[in-house]
Amino acid sequence: MKLRAVREGLLLIALACLPAIGEGIYFRDKISWQSPIPASELVTVDQARAWGDGAIWVDARPDEEFGRDHVPGAFLLNEDHWSELLPQFLPNWSPGKKVVVYCSAESCNAARDVAKRLRDEAQLKDVFVLQGGWEEWLKKK
Amino acid sequence: MTSKTSNIVWRVIDLIVGGIFIYAGVIKVLDPVQFGLDIDNYKSLPWFVSVRLAFYLPWLEIFCGLAVIFRFLYRGGLSILTALIAVFIGATIAAKMRGLDITCGCFGHASEHWNFPQHMAIDLAILIALVALLFASTRRADVRST
Repeated sequence: MKLRAVREGLLLIALACLPAIGEGIYFRDKISWQSPIPASELVTVDQARAWGDGAIWVDARPDEEFGRDHVPGAFLLNEDHWSELLPQFLPNWSPGKKVVVYCSAESCNAARDVAKRLRDEAQLKDVFVLQGGWEEWLKKK
Repeated sequence: MTSKTSNIVWRVIDLIVGGIFIYAGVIKVLDPVQFGLDIDNYKSLPWFVSVRLAFYLPWLEIFCGLAVIFRFLYRGGLSILTALIAVFIGATIAAKMRGLDITCGCFGHASEHWNFPQHMAIDLAILIALVALLFASTRRADVRST
């Protein structure tokens, strides 16, 4: 009985590979396989600084962390208070400006998620995630 | 409960549990990138593993869900789904203990705003149903063989 369950399980595991491989082939150029954020959507501190006034900085960290310190001129826009903060942020954006979103460090997801929502929900173009986040900005301060 | 009534009850549970996994799988198949990001949120696996799992796991859920509904490769399907949900519960608890604020994305937008106790309640209910189905199928097999 147990052997039968194992055999059936292995068969299902093998069967599921087929459509998964097909879907992977279909998406092969539409997904970043090496990093959760495609290289084209990342920006280094030096690059972002070089944009000067052409860049708007967005702090995706929680309110308290933003309150402690943040990139000068950065706007607070996190997912905790998205619906209140987005309308406050949008009037500061204008076409042609690049948006640089950062969170605490390389390992945080908030910047990636906020950048995605800015592209998908607010239809903004040129939205980038700061490589290394706030930690990296502090190092290069 | 008569044997016929009990069979109907188990069949209904089969359909509900199988349907839940098919629904969850289809939602994730439609947006594998988002599911990859959801797996990555647990910070337990490197991205290259998360993204490959994001393409594979939804199909495994769909196939196992179909196996449970059609009772074809039934015990294999139930065993895999039980293992999947147990691993998922473990990963969610571990993430919570590490202070990670996780959006599991298990059921697309529907589950986006579930809090931790709601997640746990639903996952545990599914786990209990799966274990019950496994026991019931073993008992049915024992009855048939005697």
